[in-house]
This record gives sequence, structure tokens and C-alpha cells, in this order.
Amino acid sequence: MLIGMALIAAVLGTAGSAWAIRPDEMLSNPKLEARARTIDKELRCLVCQNESIDDSDADLAHDLRLLVRRRVLAGDTNEQVKQYIVARYGNYVLLKPPFDAETYLLWLGPLGLLLCAAGAATVYYRRTVQAAEAPPISEEERKRISALIGDTESRIKGA
Amino acid sequence: MIAEIGLFALILALFVAAVQATVPLIGAARGDTAWMNVDRPAAFAQFCLVSIAFGALIWVHVTSDFSVLNVVQNSNTDKPLLYKITGVWGNHEGSMLLWTFILVLYGMAVSVFGRDLPPGLRARALAVQGMIGFGFLLFILMTSNPFVRIDPAPLNGNGLNPLLQDPGLAFHPPFLYLGYVGFSMAFSFAIAALIEGRVDAAWARWVRPWTLVAWCALTLGIAMGSWWSYYTLGWGGYWAWDPVENASLMPWLAGTALLHSSIVAEKRDTMKSWTIFLAIITFSLSLLGTFLVRSGILTSVHSFANDPQRGIFILTLLAAVTGSSLILYAFRAPALKGGGLFTPISREGGLLFNNVVLSTAAGTVLLGTLYPLFVDALGLGKVSVGPPYFNIVMVPLMAPLFVLMAVGPLLSWKRGDLPDALARLKFAFAATIVAVGTTWLIAGVSSRSLWASAGFGLAAWLFFGSLSEWAGRIGLFRRSFADAFHRARHLPRSAYGMTISHMGLAIVLIGIAGSLAWRTEFLQIMHPGDSATVAGYQLKFTGVENNITGPNYVASRATFIVTRDGRYVAELQPERRLYANPQQPLSTVAIHTNFVSDLYAVLGDPSSDGGFVVHIYHNPLVPWIFFGAVMMVLGGLVSLTDRHHRIGAPLRRLGAKIPMPALKVAAASAVADGAAAHERKGMRGWMYVVPLLGFAVLAGFFIWRLHLVEEGDTPNLIPSVMINKAAPKFDLPPLLAGERGFKTADLRGKVTLVNFFASWCVPCREEHPFLSEITKAGITLVGINYKDRPQDAKAWLAELGDPYPTIAVDAHGRTGIDFGVYGVPESYLIDKNGVIRFKQTGPLTPEIIRKQLIPLAEKLSK
Repeated sequence: MLIGMALIAAVLGTAGSAWAIRPDEMLSNPKLEARARTIDKELRCLVCQNESIDDSDADLAHDLRLLVRRRVLAGDTNEQVKQYIVARYGNYVLLKPPFDAETYLLWLGPLGLLLCAAGAATVYYRRTVQAAEAPPISEEERKRISALIGDTESRIKGA
Repeated sequence: MIAEIGLFALILALFVAAVQATVPLIGAARGDTAWMNVDRPAAFAQFCLVSIAFGALIWVHVTSDFSVLNVVQNSNTDKPLLYKITGVWGNHEGSMLLWTFILVLYGMAVSVFGRDLPPGLRARALAVQGMIGFGFLLFILMTSNPFVRIDPAPLNGNGLNPLLQDPGLAFHPPFLYLGYVGFSMAFSFAIAALIEGRVDAAWARWVRPWTLVAWCALTLGIAMGSWWSYYTLGWGGYWAWDPVENASLMPWLAGTALLHSSIVAEKRDTMKSWTIFLAIITFSLSLLGTFLVRSGILTSVHSFANDPQRGIFILTLLAAVTGSSLILYAFRAPALKGGGLFTPISREGGLLFNNVVLSTAAGTVLLGTLYPLFVDALGLGKVSVGPPYFNIVMVPLMAPLFVLMAVGPLLSWKRGDLPDALARLKFAFAATIVAVGTTWLIAGVSSRSLWASAGFGLAAWLFFGSLSEWAGRIGLFRRSFADAFHRARHLPRSAYGMTISHMGLAIVLIGIAGSLAWRTEFLQIMHPGDSATVAGYQLKFTGVENNITGPNYVASRATFIVTRDGRYVAELQPERRLYANPQQPLSTVAIHTNFVSDLYAVLGDPSSDGGFVVHIYHNPLVPWIFFGAVMMVLGGLVSLTDRHHRIGAPLRRLGAKIPMPALKVAAASAVADGAAAHERKGMRGWMYVVPLLGFAVLAGFFIWRLHLVEEGDTPNLIPSVMINKAAPKFDLPPLLAGERGFKTADLRGKVTLVNFFASWCVPCREEHPFLSEITKAGITLVGINYKDRPQDAKAWLAELGDPYPTIAVDAHGRTGIDFGVYGVPESYLIDKNGVIRFKQTGPLTPEIIRKQLIPLAEKLSK
């Protein structure tokens, strides 16, 4: 999206991502090609800004797409293809980071945030309830009440 | 002259802002009416001055005054008038001025509509607005002056990026800023209330409609940006979870939470310190977005030219605004008294749930956006957080919210009746079953249709749930039609607003679910006369017409005749344009919509045999995303017209009833109460300090990061995972006939530097003269000519000299990939056993060679 305002960095040559993947790269077997596309979308183009190799028209992205297809043809599973590339470029190429020591906080963070927010809401709610609860009746007030009630009772009796 | 007037007006505005930030505040503290009353004229003067400056910048752009640097950098005489105007905010300096202009516009609105506000509240709020204005004006004047002159003036300017030469630029940034900056209203009033030490009905009455204004503008701004990217970038998508997109989504999520909690604050006089907290957070996230985009801390497709110097200034501003308000919050919020009681199952409870989920969502987006920076900064390596992460995390987080969105409005205030509410959702439940069932029936049961049916079911639940709530309120089917009609007419507009907005969101959901599940993509080389079939449509490619001239570009235009079952549907004409200034290609998308789905065509590169790469998407239900978003905004606008938002009426009474001294006493006693409450509760106050601590950590991190960027640390450098691993297997042919090639086994027994280079690589020229030092130091140097044409490589070496004893050729870059090369030049130092010990990404410098490479090689050769 073009958000963030008038932004833009055409300098990076990301504008023309329309023809990122080229027909001559595609495998003739539509099933394998579909698998390759799925893998492409999960691999980061290293020289681009937050683009997958599927979106990028960078030269390296082109080479990596070809490599993905070679591995798919060679019979690798999706996971094996990704590992093949990770072995060369590291976890950095995975747009969906793996669950490991580096990323515990990333994956568990949202749950932690949810617990924090829910905890804050609970504490907040309790406090509101406490604050709104009337303080217990003091001795003086009790006397006044019984005096009033007594007063009424005696009047009813009297009537 | 005009530019100087603009600059002068900005400087004056800075002084006026300084007055506005201080005098009314002092006045309010002392109860001095004359000093407090400086606020309105000051806001008015600031508005006039910034308008003059903004007008001056538009004027120099429209008249193409090339003695002004900003015009030279962003404009050109050939540019159509519309883009000369919109180009004003198509760059950093101009967009900051637009930001400030909108800020003073809101300040002006306070002074016009806020005549009847309690004067103390208004004076303090306008003073806070004055402080923000002062900060931004200072920022513009010190780091981003748009009126800088250039001498001698060039004959013509560089022009505007063709991507920005689109009507989208006229609407998207202004609406986005109206949203971002609009949250400053809630913020300023929150700070004013904290200073005053009390939050009363006048406060909530004022904050709610302005939050609604900001929310509508931001929703529209984001939707327009999304649509703009959809119809210009040619990628067929509408949201990419790019950091800059996330920067706008965070304040939207927090602002949506604020919008809902301000309802509770207004109607039930409770959740006040919660609402104030959200007001601070929402505006802080708006500022954070501004900071991230302009600082160079994050890399994004959309960021402005990065400048750490500016980043430091905005960071200081952010720290001042957020830090000081969180400190104030930590001190004052514990004293704010809660109002009405409610049980967990009630309207208040539902809105609290909404707040919990939306805040978590905003926090999650922040986490995902900044996480790569944290990991990098802690030296744990590099991670990417891309769309798959956000999709996985956000869907389960948001889905329960959508489910409860239908239930919440059916619960009454204070104490709701859940069984009754669910009973009233019978119809919505049936509609959900029908939606899911129909999806399976039509699309079959597959993982795709499972996701789609979940989305549709959720949307049906929300849509019909909202409708049921409305029907229940007017007693449709329970009362006579005339009675129901009468009730429908007298239902408050705000109730209609909610129903419309919630239904709009249901429609957005349908659009997202449908487009994710059933998008079809066609990609082929087509020759004139060829036909393609995409999602039941036949597209006949009739050919490409060249040399079509536009105002500042030349285009090639392709024509596709679209038919369905032999009947003519439409003609699609995507173009490839070459803009003159700046010289950039741009491909325009052709879209045919029937309002349910889009047929989307993009023309790619020509192939060698007279064909063209053609990319066609069929995007089902994408138009509904934009309809739904517009409906959400419409709901907000309807709610704004609600009678009780006519701000003056109820406040006049209040303003009159509380004369100033009383207010002062109230404030003082509230503070005293606060201190007492603080003591009583003891440890409980800690909760209010947590946000401050969180922010302090974040700010500290940013400072460190900016320092690194300034030191020249490139955030893009990716550490190699190949270090201490055996060099990959390869066997490459030689560049020069008659010489030997190079293979893995040749690495054995000596320390080798493998240097990837190419004649097309500019930085390779930089390191070239120093390569001979390596051979002199006794290191075996091997050049690998990476993805190059042999004749170019030979010519390059003939021109610059050949420092390589051995040169092998990696024509297709496969060996490069095995080494983990991502940008030449790259060099790998390999030890006697063939293990990689060191990698240099980018050109080698004499310093690196002498201080790192040679000592390491000596150690390795022992």
C-alpha cells in the first residue's frame, strides 16, 4: 500500500513489481509451479525492502525463483526447499520466522500482550467496583438510621 | 519574495505557538481569565500564519519557481497543474508543512467550536496544541525548511516520481494526516484533564466527536492508500504489512479502541483514566509512525529519503510528547475517580473487551514491525517478519472480537442479559450457517473454501447481528409497522452510525475472505491475436499501440477485448509509460469491475519474439473491501450528525455553572484526593507507571539505533551463515581461454580470498585498485566473475588492470547463491581446510584489508 503518505522510493526499483515473476521461469507442471509460487511468497528478497521473491523483480529474486523451481523439480518438499535456501542465507530469508530462541518473544509476545491487557482490564474493573461500593455504615450512621426507623415506627404505632 | 513571506510566516507562527503554549497555561493555573483568554486569538493567529506559509509553498510550486530548492527537487514545468499542487506534499518538507497546517486547523476548530467549553479546560488544551505546534514548527525550521533558495536557479526541475502523479496523492495524505493529527484533539484534552485533575462530562462530550472525526479521516485515508496501491502498483494486492502501512494501522487500532472507550466515558462516566491512556497512546502512535517513516530506522518501500538528523529531532519530540504525558498520567491517573458500576457482562464490559483486543492488536503490530530491529540490536542475528507472521497472529486475535461485535450492542448498560442477547441473535446465527453452508456447496470443501467460509460466516454473523440489533431497537416485527417506522425515525443518529459502521466492517471481511480464497492469476507471454481465459472471461489481445503521448510521458497501450460466453464485456487498456522528468517507466493497470469482482490487467516487458508479458488477475470481492471501508466512514459521519454532538448546548450550562475559582478548588481537591488515594492504595499505583517504563525502554532503544545509523551502520547488511562452514562445492570454467578454471578442491592447502565481481557492478570499481595488496600479502586471490558477459568482463579488466591470478566464471550466479552472495562485490576468506572464515559484503577498503583480512590470513596460514 502507498500508505505513510507521499513516501515512495522508486529509486529502489520496486515500482514495477507487476512482472516480478516471468513466464519463462515457470514450470510446465501447474501443480509444481503452484507449489513453487507458495514457496516464493514465503522467501524474502534479500536486496529488497520487505518484499518476497515472488513480488520482486530484482535479479537475485529471479535467480532464487529459478533455484526454488530446480529444487521442486528435484523432488524436494516445500520445507526442504526453504531449508536449502536458509542454509545459504540464514533465517533472514524466511518471511515467516521459525519458532526458536531468537523469536520466542515475537511469537509469544502477542499472547503476553493479550494477558497484560486483560490483566490491566481486570485490575481496572475491580478497582472501579471497589471505588463505587459504598463504605460500610458507621456507628453514627447506624444510630441515625435506627432513630429514623424508630421514629417512623413509633409514628405508625401512634397513628 | 513569496518564499520569504512563507518562511517569515513560519517563524512568526513559531513565536505565536510559544505564546499559545505558555500564557493560557499559566493563566489557567492562576485562575487569571485574561491570560487564559489568550488561547483563542493565539490559535487563530497561528492558523493564519501557517496558512500563509502553506499557501506560499503551493504558490511557488504552481508558478514553478525554480529558485526554491523544494520546487526544483519535486516539480517540473511539464507537470499537470493538479500534480503541481499535490506535489507540494509529495515530499518530506511539504508533507511536514501539511501536517502542521492540519494541526493548526484543529486548533482553530477548538477556538471556533469550543467557545462554550469550560475556559480552564479549553485554555489548557489549546496550550498543549500550542506545544505540539511549537515542536513541529521548530522541526520544520531547523531540519526541513521547504523555502530554501538555490542560486543559480536551474531552468527546470527534476519532476515528481510518476507513481505520485496520481489523483491518489490529492486525497490520501491529507486524509491520513487529518486522522493522525485529529487524534491530537483527544490527546490535548486528555493532558488538559490530567493537569486539571478531573474528567467531567464536558471533557467526554468534547473528546468523543473529535475522535470520531479523526477516526473517519484515518479510516478513509488508509482505505484510499490501499486502493491507490491496488490500482497503481500492478501487484493485484491491497495490503502488504509493510512497516509504513503498519505505522498507519497502529494508530487506527488504538484510535478505534479510543472511540469506543470514549462512549463509555461519556455515557456512563466511567473508564475515564482508561480513555485518557488510550488518547495518549493513539496520538503517540501517530507520532511514532511519522518518526519511523522519516528516520531511517526502518527500511520500507515507501519511506522518505532517510535522514538520521531528522530522526533524532522527531525522536526528541516523540519523547517529549509521550514521555511527559505518561509521567503526568502516572501521577494523576490514580486520582481519577471511576463512575458507574457495571458487571462484566454488560455494554461496558463488551467495550472493555473491545479495548483489550484492539490494544493487543496495536501492540502486536508494533512488536512485529520493530522486532527485526530489536533482534539485530541485541546481536542475535537477523530475522524477517513478513505478511505470514501478521496473518497468523492477527486472525485468531481479531476473530473473537468480530464474534462479540454482534453481541455487545445487544447488552444493556450496567448489567446485561447474555441469554437474552443470544436469543435475539437467532436470525444472525441462522444466516451464519447459511453463509458457511452455501460457500461449501458452491465452492466444495477444500482448505481454501474452509477459510473463505469462516470469513463469510463471521461476516454474516456481524452483518445480520448488527441488523437484528437495529430491528430490535425499533421493534420491527414485534410492533405495528407504523410504530416501528416511527421508532426508526427517532432512533438517535449515533445508533445508526454504529449499525452502518459495523455492517461496513462485515463487508470488508467478505472482501478480504473472498479475495484471499479465490484470486486467480494469469501470467503468460502473449502475442497480438492470442486469447487467454481467466476465471471464465476470455481476453483477446488485439495488439499494442506505440508512441501515445501524454502530458509528460510517452506510452505503449495494449488492448484486450473481454468477453464472457461470447458476449462483449469490456475493453481493457493497460499502458506502459515512460515519463520524461524524471525519466522513469511506469506501468498503469487496467481494471474492469462489475462491483463484485475485478478483472485486472497489467502489461509487462516485451519479449524477443514480438510478444508481451501479460499479467491478469481476477480479484473476486476486492471492490467490497473499499465499499465496506466507505460504509464504515459513512457510519462515522452519520454518528457525527447526532444531535447530542452539537457541542455547545449542554456545555454552556456546565461552563456557566462552574465559575473559575470553583474549578480551581475542584482541581486542588482532586489532587489532594489523588495523593491520598495514592497513599491508601500503596502498591496499586504501580500499574500507572508501567506504560512509562515501557516507553522509556523503547525510546532508549531508538536512540541507540539512531546512533548506529548515524555512525554509518547499514541496517541492510545481512550477516553470513556460511562463516565457519565448509565452502560449497563448485567447479567453474575459466574466464580466459587456455587458463585453468577453479573448483572446491583447489582451496585445499592455502589461504584463499574468493572475490565475486562483475563489470556491471559500480562498487567493484571502488575496491578494484586495492585488490593487488591481497596478493602482495601472500593470500591466494581468486576472482569469480558473477553473472557477467565474458566480453564485458575482459574489457573491464583490460581497462582497470587484472589483479587476479585466477578468474573463474559463474555465469548464472548459482555458485554465488551457494556462497550466500546477495550483492557484488562480496569476498570470502577461506582457510587451508576449505572452511569460510570471514566475509566482506560490499567493497573491500584498504582499512579492512590491512586491519582485518591480512592479520586473519596470517593467523590462518600458521
